[in-house]
Amino acid sequence: MKLGVYLIWAVVAVVAGVFVLLGYFTSLGIFIELRLVLLRWAVLLAAGGLGIGLVNLASVHLAKVSEQEPGWPYSGVLIVFFTFTLALGLFFGPDSPWTLFVFRYIHLPLESSLMALLAVALVVAGVRLVGRRRDLLSLVFLLTAILVLLGTGPWLVFSKSSTHVGITWVRAWVVQVAAAGGARGILLGVAIGGIVTGLRVLVAADRPYGN
Amino acid sequence: MFDLRGLLILAIFLATLLTYAAYRGRRTTVFRKLRGFEELGRSIERAVEAGERVHLSLGTGSVIGSDSGPALAGLAVLSRMAMATSMSDKPSVITAGDGAMMVLSQDSLRTGYQQVGESTRFQLSAGRMLGPTPFSYVAGLPAVLGDEGVKVHVMIGSFGAEAALAADFGERNGIFVLAGTDDVQAQAILYAIASYPLIGEEVFAGGAYLNAGPLHHASLSTQDLVRFLIVAAILVGTLLRTFGVGV
Repeated sequence: MKLGVYLIWAVVAVVAGVFVLLGYFTSLGIFIELRLVLLRWAVLLAAGGLGIGLVNLASVHLAKVSEQEPGWPYSGVLIVFFTFTLALGLFFGPDSPWTLFVFRYIHLPLESSLMALLAVALVVAGVRLVGRRRDLLSLVFLLTAILVLLGTGPWLVFSKSSTHVGITWVRAWVVQVAAAGGARGILLGVAIGGIVTGLRVLVAADRPYGN
Repeated sequence: MFDLRGLLILAIFLATLLTYAAYRGRRTTVFRKLRGFEELGRSIERAVEAGERVHLSLGTGSVIGSDSGPALAGLAVLSRMAMATSMSDKPSVITAGDGAMMVLSQDSLRTGYQQVGESTRFQLSAGRMLGPTPFSYVAGLPAVLGDEGVKVHVMIGSFGAEAALAADFGERNGIFVLAGTDDVQAQAILYAIASYPLIGEEVFAGGAYLNAGPLHHASLSTQDLVRFLIVAAILVGTLLRTFGVGV
């Protein structure tokens, strides 16, 4: 019985994958239409997945609150605002001024402030890198970062000095030649890795949908 | 009618992958040392012995987007991780920023436990969605890492700049952090922040290094072969252009 169920899942995944893939390599209308239909179904399923994810989010934090696990007050705050935002969306609609107010004046500033924390985290990481990994690559990484920072904007003084002009030129070379070349190499590796990973799912060797 | 060139490239990819998998028994595959994956095995063993938790982050990418690749690689690591931690007092926790990815993580975790005959230890709450946007996901991480006794923090999935905070939370807790993503800029950030960063295609190599199956080994061999072919093609093309051939 288990084998049968697993085979059905695998066949559905493989057939859907093959048809979607063929839709990219042909101009035949039937394959393109089929690809679009399957993609629409996938979008619908993903939306369903989001709903399940939200239920999971609420249930995990509700359990934390009810069992008073470490950090439960934060879970309580999450549950309150989760319910509040959900109620706003359900009663007034996603485009209502109230819902938009929450997103514009609470959600976005909070996410922006987390984004701002990135700069601090990066500076601290740079300092820690010196102490943690004392090798040539780390030194090159740090020196390049400092060089790029120095060459990116004008200086408070000596902005027109030959040193600044030289650093700006070196920065341009690093960014346009060395970094761009390296990034392309990394992207090629990532693209090949992504294709092979997709093929493993396509031949049902990897079955993320379980057995 | 058909893009034969694209189909041919895909067929070559597939044929190489299957050939390497078929001949795996007859040839020995030697992988270069990746400190991150070597240390991951030891860290998981230590965590299991000490009754501490292992956390896998599948990132903020969705299942249907082009950013699903690294998360699928993360799921391959997950099944091995589930098997390794099945005897632990504290089951592994998997977090994702996408609901469908969370469902897949639960299925992979359940399969991992089933394969070692410990299916009763599976808990649905072990696979979680922390938040649907990158930063809401990251905002939920400190609670998981700090309050639930996590000692191994593995990030294999699609991350953007938020990877910096996700890795930094782990480093601040003084725990093992292995992190990789498909985004080049995020990789640079992770190089500076994570103790064990995965660069380039290393993010897809977890399954092979953790012995997830013959096709994972074949994948790495295929990747190497295709990469060599591309490098050779670039070099030949550069030389031809340099000497004015085909200009």
